Amino acid sequence: MKKLYFVIALLLVASMVLAACGGAPSEADCTKADVFCVGMVTDVGKIDDKSFNQSTWEGVKQAESDLGAIVQYIETTDSKDYAKNISTFADAGYDVIVTVGFALGEATAAAAVQYPDVDFIGVDQFQAWQYDEDTTNDIANLAGLVFPEDQAGFLVGALAAQMTKSKKIGGVFGTDVVPPVWRFGEGYRAGAMYINPDIEIFIVYHSDVGFDKTFTDPEWGAATANSMIDKDADVIFGGGGKTGNGAVTAAAQRGVYAIGVDTDQYYTLPEAAPRLLSSALKLLTPGTFDLIKLAKEGSFPSGNFLGKGGYAPYHDLDAEVPAEVKAKMEEINAALLDGSLQTNVPPVKP
Amino acid sequence: MAKSAEQTTSQSHDLRQILRASMDALLVPLLAVLTAMILGGLVIAFAGGNPIYAYLGLFQGAFGSTKALSETAVWATPYIFAGLAVALAFKGGLFNIGAEGQLAFGAVVSALIGYALPDLLGISLPAIIHIPLAVGGGMLAGALWAAIPGALKAYTGGHEVINTIMMNYIALNMTSFLLNAPMKDPNPLNVVARTPSIAESARIPPLFEGFRVHWGFALALLVAFLVWWLLWKTTLGFEIRTVGANPDAAKYAGINVKRTIVLTMALSGLLAGLAGTIEVTALNYRHELGFSVGYGFDAIAIALLGKTHPLGVVIAAILFGAMRNGATRMQFLTQIPVDIISVIQALILLLVAAEAIIRYLYRLRAREERVVLTRGWGG
Amino acid sequence: MDWRRFGVIALVIAILFGVVVLIGKNQTPPMVIITSMLATTIAVATPLTLGALSGIYCERAGVVNIGIEGMMLAAAFFGWLASIYMNSIFGFAPMPSLIVGVIAAVLSGALFALLHAALSITFKVDQIIGGTVINILAIGITGFLNRQLFFEEGSIFGGNVPHAPGILPSIRVPLLADVPTFGRMFDQQPITIAAIALVFITHYVLFYTRWGLRTRAVGEHPRAADTVGINVARMRYANVIIGGCMAGLGGAYFTLQSVPSFEPLMTNGRGFISLAAMIFGNWTPIGAWAASLVFGTAQAMQINLQFFRELILPEWAFLKNSYIVGLAPYILTMLILTGIIGKTTPPAADGVPYEK
Repeated sequence: MKKLYFVIALLLVASMVLAACGGAPSEADCTKADVFCVGMVTDVGKIDDKSFNQSTWEGVKQAESDLGAIVQYIETTDSKDYAKNISTFADAGYDVIVTVGFALGEATAAAAVQYPDVDFIGVDQFQAWQYDEDTTNDIANLAGLVFPEDQAGFLVGALAAQMTKSKKIGGVFGTDVVPPVWRFGEGYRAGAMYINPDIEIFIVYHSDVGFDKTFTDPEWGAATANSMIDKDADVIFGGGGKTGNGAVTAAAQRGVYAIGVDTDQYYTLPEAAPRLLSSALKLLTPGTFDLIKLAKEGSFPSGNFLGKGGYAPYHDLDAEVPAEVKAKMEEINAALLDGSLQTNVPPVKP
Repeated sequence: MAKSAEQTTSQSHDLRQILRASMDALLVPLLAVLTAMILGGLVIAFAGGNPIYAYLGLFQGAFGSTKALSETAVWATPYIFAGLAVALAFKGGLFNIGAEGQLAFGAVVSALIGYALPDLLGISLPAIIHIPLAVGGGMLAGALWAAIPGALKAYTGGHEVINTIMMNYIALNMTSFLLNAPMKDPNPLNVVARTPSIAESARIPPLFEGFRVHWGFALALLVAFLVWWLLWKTTLGFEIRTVGANPDAAKYAGINVKRTIVLTMALSGLLAGLAGTIEVTALNYRHELGFSVGYGFDAIAIALLGKTHPLGVVIAAILFGAMRNGATRMQFLTQIPVDIISVIQALILLLVAAEAIIRYLYRLRAREERVVLTRGWGG
Repeated sequence: MDWRRFGVIALVIAILFGVVVLIGKNQTPPMVIITSMLATTIAVATPLTLGALSGIYCERAGVVNIGIEGMMLAAAFFGWLASIYMNSIFGFAPMPSLIVGVIAAVLSGALFALLHAALSITFKVDQIIGGTVINILAIGITGFLNRQLFFEEGSIFGGNVPHAPGILPSIRVPLLADVPTFGRMFDQQPITIAAIALVFITHYVLFYTRWGLRTRAVGEHPRAADTVGINVARMRYANVIIGGCMAGLGGAYFTLQSVPSFEPLMTNGRGFISLAAMIFGNWTPIGAWAASLVFGTAQAMQINLQFFRELILPEWAFLKNSYIVGLAPYILTMLILTGIIGKTTPPAADGVPYEK
């Protein structure tokens, strides 16, 4: 027994030493008026997903460097913690809280009502109350950051249809249950059909697994893209977190054209860069930053805030894209922006 | 007089024996948790964090305020049920790795009863009828789901470990299907794979106004007591334990081994189903895809840490719930990734499972008895 | 050889292929569908095959291993990590970095297997619990390190995107790979080729060598083996560690052959499926490979059915639902376990610690 106490004492001493080594946690006082704090709550997913959560977090980080904000994030491990995680920030006196993903929509709206002094940014959270007659359900301190995914998908679809030689193109996506993903996919289809109604399009959604896996299965994405290439597809669009990334890298490896999603993946997927034709853009980082900036300036908009979409430069493949294709792409982009061209993709899957 | 004195001494002797035995039973898990926390602290320090502040944050987040306590109880509730499910199966010599699937299936069924039954009957049900129906339905669903591998084990010899793993995948695929199509919330604004909200009359109320901790937590404690009572005070419990300890002896003693195996699995599934049901009826008020993140594996760790005893399970579940709950505050304060909790939990499981390591580390005397938990694929 | 079992397996594979061909034949030539499905099947069956081989080595020696999932996940992470270190920190060319990565993956599989062996052989911990420990530990360690090394500021890679050296290039079998259409099948990546070779090597080792005889003796009747002078514990340790190497190579498939990135939980239950494949194949390497191909076919079918979604006739609408199609392999495994389709006979002393 004596030995036991000795061991325990030793361990205690060891932990004291460890304590001395580390630094003190820096908890700035966000309750003070002059301290601007921004907190971010992720969906059930990780901050380092090289996609969705990470792009948004980069927007928050930009607020740290450009606006001198104190920034912090909390990762959600279980959907029952949404409300708790949001209130962790709100109770600590944070000024702006960013929640990422449509699944947090309800919890965010509820928190916005509960904490009227905090500005809430809901990424990908469509605010329906803005469009009804009823003004009693309006929430002044809540903005939904939404994107024209269908237009971005339409653009790269049109690009793919113009660049394919086999007249077969493919798209590998996360689950179609998530509207932004479905809109990318259907926009892609519409854009390709717009150029060539007879084109053969393989579109596969990874809806056969649970929700937690659908965006994080690069191996499946690669296998699916390879299967499309075996059927002669020569342009592959990968959309949907790491699953899509797997498709993009596999396509690049096989030497066909690859198209990325969300950010310009020329920079986030260096392995695929040499064969990356373009990316369907959904500019999360600037969208998030713009909203935080507006909140800091006191002109926070409520309701839906439309972020920017588009298509990324051709980078290494610039020389391979004919001038008339480039001109056509600019023409389509302009027509989509001024509304003279419609994608006809509904906001959610019917 | 002399006789009575003798009795007292023997009684106090018994008491001391029990005390020593329970001390001994508690010592290893306690040292395992302590050692795992220290090893976890080393990992944090190695990664450049400060373990003391991390643990302070963890403690604060778990027990630092009434709200924190309430959230810890919220987290502990499904852990208690699922841990009891695995522990009960262990007592019967069965390894239920399928708590995850049983939980999901129970949750789906009780959500269905919760939102669809009043419309189906065309009347609004009083809570006193609706709640028991929703909870009972979920329990039954979990029991049925687990009874299938139980029956396969009893009558064909198919090992329950593989079968419950397969049933997990089947349950998760089926819930994905149900929540995406037939049972999906038809509200046009809803885009998530989830059921509609259950009726008010099917909702279990919170214990205290303003806090999320609900009557499900109280129920969990009651059920833990019931499981103890079942296992040690009833014939069925005796049969379960006998079959678990030695199926051949049980057979000679006239116990219907096959029936007992099916019943044990069904009871285990019932408890797991209850975990899912309570999450639906008392907390989320609907079932949503991806709401259960690894309860099945956590439940195994909890059952083992609790030495498969109901009281032990409750304590272990509260500990695990506290860690999961406190992790938010830990990350908020120190930015230590929440994954560290998984590392610590795995270390706890490792040290509890391999008691010999703990006994060697702390120079404890070895106990002779060995608990047989499971056997090979053959049966 | 159990012909009935192989008959069932061949029939299931044929049916799954037939359904896809029937649906898609008006859009894509049947030969193209079949070869592309075969190529997908062989590729996705790779980790399952290796996982099943891992299980076979362990269980033939009498140690149940449900930790294959964790061993694969850890190997996927550490193999990938080693390749990145070699490539971006030590400046090696991509190819040597990838080879070092594969070696590191195999070694980390072996290391986790060593832990499993120590738990189940030396400490006589319940083997299923030992496996569970491996699984949970692997999830925690890889998740934590992935974050700490790559994302957090001040970490080794400073929050930058890790630049992986790419993936293992495919090897074309000379002549055969040039055959039109079918040639695609002979254009495979190295780990896939190694997996198929290992199936036959394992078959030979288990059934035609002294080592194999001793391994089986230790798994079937350890006391008898002990009496004739075989060191039961040593035999078990060695086989579990070899099994860990197999799982490690299976893990390398994910991050060094399939995609050049790591994702927490990326093995997605493949380890458990390979366990099912092992039982499906009645603890024989060739049987387990055939079973892995069934699971691979099911996955290939899911992918291909989605290509031809619009062509599915209304009365077969359930095929459009990938959740329902996805159930097939799991239900099949359970059916196999019931003994309806051929009896499974595990090694007699599987899962039983040996006490002298």
